[in-house]
This record gives sequence, C-alpha cells and structure tokens, in this order.
Amino acid sequence: MPVEIPKDSWPGAVNTVTLGATGDQGGSRTSTVTIGGERSLPFMHFESPMPHRPAIAMEIAPARPADWSAVLLEAWGATADDPGSWARACEEAGADLILLQFGLKGSGDEPVSADFAVAAVKAVLGSTGLPLVVVGPGQAEVDNSILVPIADATKGERLVLGLCEEGNYRTLVAAAMANDHLVLGKTPMDVNLAKQLNILMSDMGLGRDRVVMDPTTAALGYGIEYGYSVMERLRLAALQGDGMTQFPILVTPGAEAWKAKESKVGEGTPAEWGEWRQRGMNWEALTAVSLVEAGAHVVVLRHPESLRRVRAAIDELMASETA
Amino acid sequence: MSEGREIPVAVYAAQFDSLAEPVAVDAGELIVDAARRGGVQIQQPCGGQGRCGRCAVRVESGRVRRRSLLRLSPTDLAAGYALACQTVVEGDIAIVVPPPERIERRLTTDHVAPEVAVPEGYDAGRSQSVRRVVLRLVPPSMDDQRDDWARLETTLRRAAGVERLQASLEQVRGLGAVLRASGWEVAVTFDTGREQDDAARLIRVQGAAEAAGRPLCGLAVDIGTTTVTAWLADLATGRVLQQAAEYNQQISRGEDVISRIIYAGKGAGGAELRDLVLDTINGLVAAACGQAGVDPDDVVKATVSGNSTMMHLLLGIPPESIRREPFVTAMNHLPLLRAGEVGIAMHSDGVVDPLPGVASYVGADITAGALAAGLHAAPQTTLFIDVGTNGETVLGSAEWLVACACSAGPAFEGAGIEHGMRADRGAIEEVWIDGRTYEPTCRVIGRARARGICGSGLISLVAEMFLTGILDKAGRIDATLGTPRVRTGPHGAEYVVAWAGETESGEDVVITTVDIDNLVRAKAAIYAGFTVLADATGVSLDSVDRILIGGSFGKYINVEKAIEIGLFPDKPWDRFDYLGNTSVRGAYLALLDREARAEIARIASAMTYIELSADNSFYEAFTSALFLPHTDLSRFPSVAAATTNGG
Repeated sequence: MPVEIPKDSWPGAVNTVTLGATGDQGGSRTSTVTIGGERSLPFMHFESPMPHRPAIAMEIAPARPADWSAVLLEAWGATADDPGSWARACEEAGADLILLQFGLKGSGDEPVSADFAVAAVKAVLGSTGLPLVVVGPGQAEVDNSILVPIADATKGERLVLGLCEEGNYRTLVAAAMANDHLVLGKTPMDVNLAKQLNILMSDMGLGRDRVVMDPTTAALGYGIEYGYSVMERLRLAALQGDGMTQFPILVTPGAEAWKAKESKVGEGTPAEWGEWRQRGMNWEALTAVSLVEAGAHVVVLRHPESLRRVRAAIDELMASETA
Repeated sequence: MSEGREIPVAVYAAQFDSLAEPVAVDAGELIVDAARRGGVQIQQPCGGQGRCGRCAVRVESGRVRRRSLLRLSPTDLAAGYALACQTVVEGDIAIVVPPPERIERRLTTDHVAPEVAVPEGYDAGRSQSVRRVVLRLVPPSMDDQRDDWARLETTLRRAAGVERLQASLEQVRGLGAVLRASGWEVAVTFDTGREQDDAARLIRVQGAAEAAGRPLCGLAVDIGTTTVTAWLADLATGRVLQQAAEYNQQISRGEDVISRIIYAGKGAGGAELRDLVLDTINGLVAAACGQAGVDPDDVVKATVSGNSTMMHLLLGIPPESIRREPFVTAMNHLPLLRAGEVGIAMHSDGVVDPLPGVASYVGADITAGALAAGLHAAPQTTLFIDVGTNGETVLGSAEWLVACACSAGPAFEGAGIEHGMRADRGAIEEVWIDGRTYEPTCRVIGRARARGICGSGLISLVAEMFLTGILDKAGRIDATLGTPRVRTGPHGAEYVVAWAGETESGEDVVITTVDIDNLVRAKAAIYAGFTVLADATGVSLDSVDRILIGGSFGKYINVEKAIEIGLFPDKPWDRFDYLGNTSVRGAYLALLDREARAEIARIASAMTYIELSADNSFYEAFTSALFLPHTDLSRFPSVAAATTNGG
C-alpha cells in the first residue's frame, strides 16, 4: 500500500542573509556565504527545497589562545600564532567563513585595544578571501570600544559584528548600519529574549538581511536539548510568519564542546571513555551535527577534523534532497 | 502672521471667555496658537501632540475642525469640547477654557475608584451581628437568690431573644461589680455569631449611664504584604468614620510572602513578624480612633482580610506549609476570635473575624475582594485583577470562579522603588512628557510639593517615557537624547521627574533603571497571570465582558497608560472599572452585614484555585511579557498604533 507522506506548508520563511561582500559589492572578499531562505523545517526537502546549505565557520583568535585545549593547538600548529596565517589555514582546511573571537587581552597582558583589534581584523581580511564574523569579548563597553573602530575601518565588507546584546545594541547597530555590516545578536537560551532583541534592533531600522542571531546553545551532555528546543521553536515561529524570529541562526558548538570535561580532560578518566583526542573531536562534531539538524545556519567549530566530519554530515543531509 | 500681507486668507474672530476682545485668527490656525497670541494659558503637557487630552476647551459657537477625537467621549463632543492643540478654526468662534482641574476629572481614560458608601438600606438591627441592649435587672434578694450570671442571661433572653451566651472567666470576674455599681441597669454588648444558631459571645457589660451616647464601632482591616489598611466604621449607621493605611512593617523582613515565611521559620522570627504587623495595625487603629474621636474600647468588632500568609503571621500560626509542596495552609476557614488573644488594640473582648481564604496563595483578600467587586453575582464572564504584591486574578461569573496568584512584588504600591511612596499626599500620581523637550508635567496628590511617586504615577511615568522614546521596548533609558533629565546615577541611567527645587525633600525625584526593571517585572507577572489563567480555563480574553481592577493606587488609575505598558489587556477603556482596595471594601461589607460575611464563605468554597507553577506556561508567558508593551505586539494593537504614529 503506498504511503503518502503528509506535507506541511508554512506561511513564513527564514530571512536570506549574505555574509561578506566581494570587490563588485563594495568589499574585498573572494567569496560570500548566503544562508537562510528556508520555508520548512530543516532538511525537509520534500516539503520545500533548502535554498542554502548550512555553513561552517572556523573560530580563530587574534593571538595564540591560552585557554584552548592542547589538542586544538596541536592540530593548528604554528599557524595559530598569528590571525592571518590561522585564517589562511582555515580556508585551506575548507571553512566557509572565519569567526575572529577577541578576548579581554590584546597583545601580551595588555587589555585589548582598538588598534590591536583593527590590526588583527585587517590581517585576517588580507590573508583570506572568506567572509568574516568578528566577536568581542562579550562585555558591552569593551565590545563597543573595539567593534566600532573595526566597523569604521572595514566599511563595505559586510562583516558580521557581535555580540549585540540588550545593553549595547544601539551602538553596534548604528556602527553596522553606517558601514554596511551585519550584526550578530546574542541572547540567553530563550525564545522570547531572542525575539525581543530582534525587535529592538529592527526598531532602529536595521534591515532584515543584516541580522544573524545566536540564541545560545550548550554542548552535548550540558543542556544541548534546551538549546535544540529553543532553536526548533524559533524556526516554528518563523515558519508560522512571526517576522521577529525569522533571522538565520549562528551557534558555537566548538567553543561549547571544548569547554566540556570530556573534551578537556586527558588524564584520570575512565577507560571506557576512549581515546582522548578522538573524544574531543567526537564531542564537537556530535554537538555541531545535532545543532545543524535543529536548524543552525552557521556552526562555529574549532578542530579541522570536526570541520571535515560536520561537512560530510551536511553533505549527506543535503544529498537526501534528491532521494 | 506677517504684517505686510496684502491679501489675507480668511480672517476670523476667536472670542475666548477670559478676554474682552476677540483674537484675529487665520483660517486653518490651531486654537492653541490663537490662544497664545491672545495671552490665554492653555496647558499642553504632552507638547501639543494630542496625546494627553489636557488642553480640551469648549467651543460654544462657530465652526472648527477636530483633527483628532482622541481623549474625547461622545458626551464631551456633544458638549462642544475639542482639543485645542488638534483643532483648527474655520469660522468666528467663541471658546470657553475650563480650569485645568475640571479637565482632570473629566478625562475618559481616568478611572476613579468609587467613594465608599454605606450599603443601600443598611439596617444594623437586621444585618449587624453585634448588638447592644440596655437591661434593667431585678436585684437579688432573699426571695430571689439566682446567681448574677443567670440573672443577666434570663433578662437578656427575654429582652433580645438570646438563647445561649458565652463569656470568659475575666468577664465573669468583673460582672458582679459592674451590676452593683450600675444599680442593676446595664448595657450589654454581644455578638450573635456567624450562624443563626451560634451561641452569642458576650463582649462587654457596662453601666447603662456610662454607655449612653457612646458609639459602637468596628474595624475593617486588610493586611497586604506591602500595605495595611484599616477602616473605622460606626456599626449603628454603617458610616466609615476614618480610613488609614500604612506600609506593613514586616517589609523590613522580606518583600514577598515567601521571604516572610522563611523568616518566620527562623527562631523567634514568627513572633517578631506577628509583633510587626500588630504594631502596624495598632498604629492605624490608634490614628483612626484619634482622628475620629473614638475610644478604642468602643471598637468591639473587627473583620480581617489578607492573603493566607498574612493571616497566618497575624495569628501566630506557623506558615511553613504554605511554601512547601503540596502548598497547604493550616486553616482556611478560621473561627471567631477574641481581640485580646489576637492582639488588636480595641476592646479586648471584642470579636475578631478572620475572613476565609481559598488556598495558600489565594486568601481572604481575594474572596473579600470578589465580594466587593460583585464577581460572585456577575451575569457575564468577568476578570478581576488585584494589582498588588501577589498579583491575584479571578476569572468567572455567578456560575463559576477560578483564581490564581503570581508574585509581582511591591512596585505597584510604591515600595522597593527609589522614590516610591504610597498614594498619599505629595505622591506624583500622573505624568505627561513632552515628546520634543522630554520635560514632564506632574500631577501631585493634594497639590502638594512632590515627595515621591506612587503606583499610578509609576505606571503613567513609564508609559510616557516609553511613548516619547526615552525608553526602548526593553525598558532601557536612551542616554543619547541630550536632555539634562536623563543622566547617570548610582544605579545606572535615571530620569529626573522633579528637580530638587520642586520637591518637599529638596532632592531630585528620579526613576532609575532598576525601578523600571522592577515595574516591568511586576507588570509582566500580572499580565502573565491572567493570560495563563484564561488559557487554562479556555476563556478568550475577548469574551470577557468586564475587567475589574483592585489595588492600592489610591483613588485613581489611568487605564490607557496601564495598557500602554502592557499591564492590562488591550481592550476598550470602558470595559474597565477601578475599584480601589477591594479587600478592605469586602472586609467592610462583612463587618456590617452577616449575610455578606456568609457570602464570602460561599465564595471561598466555590472558588477553584489554579496553581501556576504546575508547568512552564507561566514562565513562558512571563518572559514574553517582559517587554513594553509585550513581545507579541499584535496583542496590543492600540499601543502599536500609538507608537508607530507618534514615532
């Protein structure tokens, strides 16, 4: 007996957002990344084809990070000493885009400064043609002090600037609008809070094609189901036509997974946990693939092997389109 | 007006009532501009944007065109009222500018609590449980050696039909002396109890001469978590002699019921909280009696309302089980008590009647409130919102009643707010802000110098700050507006509502970011409470016929502004009624009328309590309401229209 698969048809769609601008478009990127545009739940190709693949961003830092797992630093080797060479290595490893994450420190023990930050961004833009996401340390005042000069210094590149939060969104949105950039809004794992920040940013006149949201997720075993559920509900609301939930989603499974004890700790763990290096990569890849299935448009990773594995999973999920 | 103009457009004459000569007006000119030129003062608190309605004038004759009818009722229009800032002159006109205080009372959005009135047809002889009768006893003799008590009881039975009379040992000890000193002519005060066949309770025996001309008084008390209110009433006439309110002294030991319960559980905490609330009540009793010239010994009955935790703490009953699953009280329907054992400073043998509650978080304040609001007799579905610390909501009609509660905090009563205060003399109760200059105009209770901001003032202030763009939808102050009114204080950004020179304390009155957060959380809790209650019962808010508002806002709340901040549902203003403190009103009705007291007990038994913490739907509704007016703007179409047109 033939079984007919019921098809949902939704009134709403996720916004289509293009990250980065090429020379023709006013920037200097050699490629851009377009995400979003879906009219169905993730990978329900039979209902509505997914217009764009989920993208993979690789996270780098402006200087060799002190708090990263040795496993990660070993994988990147000396390229991680300098943001330009690190970004180039990411491009060679197959990343779709780069996420440059600033901390509170600049060079050495100095607090991060605007000059330092602008130089790091320029170095990355100069060494790779990929679109770039730039994220501050997450303290409103410090974020503003470096992101505004970065926005001014890179006018037209369609960078994604973050983190835009309830406390600093005015400054960041204004800087992005004045310089033709995008913003990354971040809210603590709650559908309403995500929507509220989107309303506040939109009230300033920021275009719908200029916002990417990070609703916050957690690693496998650390509350991923909450993050998954929030993303799923945001997507359902978006499909039902709620305009303030229709922004594409960027999440950071790399940073979350490598904070987990299972990835970080190499000694004194039970034998059944398996080999440490593999475990960290497994943790990152499993977290990331789960979030891709929840509807992430950009996943930010740290390990090049995870990049390969998540890429393979996305290929498979997208291939089912033709099945 | 250019003097050199050769061909004037039409020029009309506008005659203002306060001027001897008419003012020349160009066709299409606004009434306010004509008035200004003629030197006539018309207040424009909102800066002439047609928002506040305070510039209404009466057009006695002549043609005008009203660009906006906002703030004018059909009655106003029929009487010729027009907003001076929104009305253009199209002919020779005659204008009456009313004094501002008359406009204040006439606004359609202002909802004023009804004055307290003695219930229609109040007859103490029929309704009152307390009675005082004068008896002439036959003195004992060698022929009649009945005991004093039997002599009193028999005479009372004959005179007043009292079958059984209860007395305390203390009363028996004093009886003989009073009987003999009075020459066997005494006034006996007693309470006939709640039910028809209850034994009467002896309150007082005094010499008939001593009692003559002294009033018989009662107290209606509402113990709020934040505010305690007491009304002193004459039981014979039913008239309220004095009203008094004060913050509950327990606030210093925790702002909400949960922290009070925790405090009560520690060592002597329970006894301390009991003393604090008794101090508060007794202070009010002393003040009310003092002002009314009543001897506290002539106060012989009190009805006490309040949430279940407050009732437990007053009576010294450990409230711990209220806070712990499965959340039960010690007793919802309490017996009649003696004032002396409760500790209220009235006649110590007076009767204290604690009104009945429903559950741990829906107490006597709500059952009494439902009675006062007439919810139990409402023909159609009615929503009753008590805008207080515990945010209780009741939905229903004569057929059914469901209730819930949520912790809103004390912000609406002016507590926990930097310059918050009760709705009392000197409280800013209404604010308008000019959308261009960000300058406020305030109305202060008693027309005094500003001392602080009360609940209705806070609602009004936050609504105006939001509508004029000082606040964003998240309730954050925009520090980039370039007005000295917005500045950075010790708690972050703040807005100066009144400069030091305008206040009683000589210090600036401000509202801080923290205050605004508190207020937004409070309004979100209340909004979430009634929306979840409506969802849980499957009742659409659209089908709610009337929305009754209770609360300690004093005399007044501006419904429109409460809608603008997302406290109340966006329904037509005329569906709302502001009832004031419904809990004390209910207690007052029960004080006067045993039938009303019985009705409260019936309400308590019939009301279904819904526990909001049973699932996460309340939390979801709460976070979505933590926004101005709400995350889902489609729920507030009138606010959406006001913010997009004004912006």
